[in-house]
Amino acid sequence: MNGTKATLGRDIGRMLEALAGLIVVTAVVALVWGEFYVVPALAVSAAIPFGVGYALTTLFADAEDPGKLHGMMVAASGWFAVALFGSLPFLLVAWTAELDPALLSVPSSARTTTLAAFTEPLNAFFESMSGFTGTGLTMTDNEEVLPRTLQWWRSFIEWIGGVGVIVLTTAILARPGSGSLTLYESEARSEKIHPSIVSTVRTIWWIFVLFTFVSITLLWLVGMPIWGAINHGMTGLATGGFSITDNSIATYDSVAIDFALLPIMTLGSIAFPVHFLILRGDLKNVYTDLQTRWVLGGFTLGSAFLWALVYFGGTYSSAFTALRYGLFQFVSAMSCTGFQTAVSSTNVALGNWTAAAQLTVAGGMVVGAAAGSTVGGIKLIRLATLIKGIQHRVSDVFYPTSAVRRLEIDGRRLDEREARREFEEAGIIAVLWVVFLTIAMFVLLLVLPMGEYTLENVIFEVASTQGNVGLSSGITGPSMPDLGKVMFLFNMWIGRLEIIPVLVLLRAIFKRGGIYQ
Amino acid sequence: MNVQDAPLIGQVLESGADDRVLDGLLLSGPIVIALIVLAGRNLLTEGIAVTYLLVFVGYVAYLGLQRT
Repeated sequence: MNGTKATLGRDIGRMLEALAGLIVVTAVVALVWGEFYVVPALAVSAAIPFGVGYALTTLFADAEDPGKLHGMMVAASGWFAVALFGSLPFLLVAWTAELDPALLSVPSSARTTTLAAFTEPLNAFFESMSGFTGTGLTMTDNEEVLPRTLQWWRSFIEWIGGVGVIVLTTAILARPGSGSLTLYESEARSEKIHPSIVSTVRTIWWIFVLFTFVSITLLWLVGMPIWGAINHGMTGLATGGFSITDNSIATYDSVAIDFALLPIMTLGSIAFPVHFLILRGDLKNVYTDLQTRWVLGGFTLGSAFLWALVYFGGTYSSAFTALRYGLFQFVSAMSCTGFQTAVSSTNVALGNWTAAAQLTVAGGMVVGAAAGSTVGGIKLIRLATLIKGIQHRVSDVFYPTSAVRRLEIDGRRLDEREARREFEEAGIIAVLWVVFLTIAMFVLLLVLPMGEYTLENVIFEVASTQGNVGLSSGITGPSMPDLGKVMFLFNMWIGRLEIIPVLVLLRAIFKRGGIYQ
Repeated sequence: MNVQDAPLIGQVLESGADDRVLDGLLLSGPIVIALIVLAGRNLLTEGIAVTYLLVFVGYVAYLGLQRT
């Protein structure tokens, strides 16, 4: 166990050092915007994770490379630690505004109830976890009044979290060898672009940064102000969904912006190895890669179905308006972005949509898009494995027992043993997904005021949280009961890491603590 | 000193699709955005933004056509 602790300590230390670097970058934004009063808070926020990280990496410098068990524990505990320490800028900037030290001359416009919500550590932690996991649910009432520095910090952590904290750490603190591969795989990624894992993660960042510039330019060109374009370009591509406006994308009420965001969210939904091939001219991957084909097919069919529900159901009287909102909201949900355009007068996502339409959107959120991209949810490859696996099992009855059959998934022909393993893995994740969704639903139904929200509201909110989507039926907010916030923190965490690493970590902790034997 | 030896540029050129046009788009991205931030919305910046996007889309399509 000492070896495990050392490996965990060293790798979490590296992640915290990288986090400190991100906070230092954010201090530059504060200086550019002239928000000098947040700089001391950011300096302390960076110093703490750097100090802890430096101590851990120094203390455990000789730790062994992580094995599969270590990799999962590092991923789970590392993401938790990064979200925890990443909450410091929210907490300390909020307290700076609250205490208003004369030396820092905090402007009166900064002292808002929205920012004051972050003086509560649980709210700050929630916001940070929501950001890093790319969920996009928020503890703010009105994002527009937040200091620009915190608007940026929210967008930045979603952007980083979209690709992954471990991918970032590996790219910066390059450490060739088997340890990096194990960690990379523990962060819900498996595909490699190059034989070397360091080259793979650097190429992932190369693609992501290029697409970010393209997204920002496109959004600005269709009419979004540049600060909005920078933030929404980053969070849209990362399929995170944090916004800098109170009404999300609905604030702009622009058809051009709505439609410009569709390709951006779609880019975020396609696996990086496929992007790499497409950028090398291999365009046929758009239809030969199973997940990409299913992403595009899923977006089309889901949007068409949703359009029919909101148009023929009478939510919208114009076919084009139904198409505009139906298409955007389904792509936003299935890509796990969580941007909102269809909001009610009370700023609730899909507030005036029928239960059937809300549940269709929730279905998209549960499934998600391609594995190896920036999205959450169960992922299409698992859905494909489950569907094809069930077909395979059912058709088994019609063949003689001596028949040798192979299961074909995504161009791979799997023998009986491989097929059973992949089917089992997809089945386990899907079952655990439903189990934790159900637990969260029960908790929410217990803690929410009776009669205030419908069952479909609760299902929608829980699916959005665990799928790391961020669309809200109005339940999540600073006034949400603390137990609900804690449950959602857990759902966001397991959703991002695809459950298993978190369960492995919890098992190790409980076993060591003597609670589970 | 060779361009490839420059710290950030060298890393960009080493990573990615190993294509100088796409590398160029990545490296010029921050310049385009900085120009927009500094100069605001006018005919020149809009022209630059349109050119940037057209080069990206057009070049990827061109690569695709070459491969087929």
